[in-house]
Amino acid sequence: MRSNRVGWLLLAPTILILAVFGIVPFLYVLYVAFHQWNPFGANPNMIYNGADNFRRLVFDAEFLTSVWFTLKFAFFAVASEVALGYLLAQLFMKDSPGKGFFRTIHTLPLIVAPIVVGSVWRLMTTPSIGIIPYLLNDWFGYDLNIGRDATSAFVITVIMDIWHWTPLVTLTLLAALVSLPKEPFEQAQIDGANRWQIFWHVTLPMIRPAILATVFIRLMDALRTVDEVWMLTGGGPGAATRYVGLHIWKLVFPKTDYGYGSAISVIVLYLTLVMCWLLYVGLVARRDRKRPS
Amino acid sequence: MFRRSGTIVAALAAGLLATAAPAMADFWSDAGAKYQGVTLHGVTESTPPSNYIKDVLAPAFEKATGIKVEIETTSWDQMYDKAIKDMEAKTGIYDMVYIEQDIIYAYLARDFLVDITKSLKDDPSLKAPDFDESRFTTFANYFKNADGDLFGIPMEAFIKLYLYRTDLFNDPAIKEAFKKETGKDLAPAKTHEDYTQIAEFFTKWGKDNGKEIWGSTAQAHTGHPASWYEFFESVAPTFGVYNWGIDASKNYAASVAEGGSMNSDKAKTALKWWLHLRDIAPPESAASTWTEVGTTFAAGRAAQGFVYGENAAWIASDAEKSKVVGNVGVALPPVEPGVMEEAEAGKGYIGYYDGGAFGLPVTSKNKEAALLFLQYIGQDSVQGDWAVAAPRITNTATYDDPKVIEMDKTLGGYYTMLKDQGKLFAGAPPYPFHAQVREATAPIFYRILTGEVGPDEGLDQMAAAAEAELKNLGYRK
Repeated sequence: MRSNRVGWLLLAPTILILAVFGIVPFLYVLYVAFHQWNPFGANPNMIYNGADNFRRLVFDAEFLTSVWFTLKFAFFAVASEVALGYLLAQLFMKDSPGKGFFRTIHTLPLIVAPIVVGSVWRLMTTPSIGIIPYLLNDWFGYDLNIGRDATSAFVITVIMDIWHWTPLVTLTLLAALVSLPKEPFEQAQIDGANRWQIFWHVTLPMIRPAILATVFIRLMDALRTVDEVWMLTGGGPGAATRYVGLHIWKLVFPKTDYGYGSAISVIVLYLTLVMCWLLYVGLVARRDRKRPS
Repeated sequence: MFRRSGTIVAALAAGLLATAAPAMADFWSDAGAKYQGVTLHGVTESTPPSNYIKDVLAPAFEKATGIKVEIETTSWDQMYDKAIKDMEAKTGIYDMVYIEQDIIYAYLARDFLVDITKSLKDDPSLKAPDFDESRFTTFANYFKNADGDLFGIPMEAFIKLYLYRTDLFNDPAIKEAFKKETGKDLAPAKTHEDYTQIAEFFTKWGKDNGKEIWGSTAQAHTGHPASWYEFFESVAPTFGVYNWGIDASKNYAASVAEGGSMNSDKAKTALKWWLHLRDIAPPESAASTWTEVGTTFAAGRAAQGFVYGENAAWIASDAEKSKVVGNVGVALPPVEPGVMEEAEAGKGYIGYYDGGAFGLPVTSKNKEAALLFLQYIGQDSVQGDWAVAAPRITNTATYDDPKVIEMDKTLGGYYTMLKDQGKLFAGAPPYPFHAQVREATAPIFYRILTGEVGPDEGLDQMAAAAEAELKNLGYRK
């Protein structure tokens, strides 16, 4: 009884913070989502409109397009970050001169604010002025113009995200790799397994929880990305990089369409939960079920 | 002995009186005494005039009154984000907010701002002797309500100019080449056809001569509202399409079918003209907002273009930032036949008269102290240096300041143009739904820019989207 009380006491600050900054705002967003509310409308008050906002978003081509682009962005960014992060983590496992220095340099993007990352990449990619279009033109005769070419803009936003967040994946996977016991690897080598077999049957299953946690974090981040892309492309050209986070931002802040923006936020949260659940089922639960008891 | 003591006492008293007299007569220190310990917070867009307030006027006010002022300068989007959230949530963080001319109607509709005229009338002790509303230029009218009461102290005002490179336009070889190619003398364009010819000529000339120079600027970002603004506020009016093509008197109609002109033939011609210019403008134009357009011109990459006046001064005079110092000419934008006559008659306008004011939110916790600061920045005495540091004029007397007259020469007569022909330009229409209609139509506009939608079809869609949004907002019945 006493230990329970102490436990709750220790948990209280966390619960309080979670309630104030997480649960209450979420409930408020949910409440607003069932209203029409634009403070600059002829009637600036909240008007209850049932599920109209949710009905509207099902037929909203702009929203559906932004979801599709976001999913593409999240898939390419997160998959590349995990693959690249794993390779770098493996590199850092090996002893080589300057490893410590490179590891420090490599983590620097993590401490840069997203808005600054967007600014720097904007400077680097501005047609005629940026270093990237200059080099691409000089080396390959390719004219990079992210203001006009949708594919280029999309690719650059993915590369920017990879540049910014791969170090996080590397650090997480490096921590996982360092903590692995040596015995299973020695056993596999004695059994004659090659490098691929060791990776697939020993390393991967053992670091799967770390990979999963990293993918969850990165996926959730990628699905709500705003600052960097807003700074780099503003969502353009056209709607090519108007990812759902940016779409919501434009609805809620400049357009002050609070009701509809809230409804989209709720649906995007739901989509994120579903995707994480599917990922969990696909990567963990199914595998656990197959395991002989 | 007593006589000598009396003389000393009298001298001391006289000395004390003499030193005290200026303090008694100084309105600012007396008025500020009541608000010692107060810190005023303001939020504004990071522009040259706002930076001057932050760096020069705020410290000067602090010195004069003892009231501390913290001005936060940030991006345009963030500035609105912060100000609106603060006023909407009634948190009272800000005592001064930047009011761009086009947002004032929305703020007035929401009763966000303090009536400055009335406040000073109600409490005359706050009225500074050097502050007089009648000393502002007519630009201040944009910040008044129907009763003529002022809700914002004008702090920047400028027009979007037609800038051209005098060194190129006066180069004998270039003039000869232009004459040979077009049969015309090279001079700042008065019509759209002339402007296009000049733009095409210089883009070709740059290419033929291996020079990084193009015929025109274009504020044509494919994901930022700057492009939308360039079209609706600077280009469409020169073709006779005013107020974004929305007619408030016809139930806020936007489409031609309903009585608007957003998708009129004139609007479609204007858009095609501008898209062509965008295609022969420097490659960075597709990623250019108002800031980058100024940078492009300052880098010497465009022979002519439409540039916000707030950038004109540093482009023309700051050799550290600009490569075209001494080579900048200003002119009125080219127009279609009949548009100039409409502007002169007050029935239309030829471009954008931009600017902003500092307003006092009703949610401010330091209204009286903020009123003092607002009057401080509105005085004639601080305007001259401010106009030289940042190209803006809000008080009529500033035009006659010797420093401003001198600066006008460097700027190729920009201030004279602002004074004499500013009336031909206009601010945004008095709609309380500014950002809402812009954001409803901008995604389609961006698709026009990328070529996903044709200009004719796109403007039809935009007119329909504008009307749908206005209906949704409850303005269109």
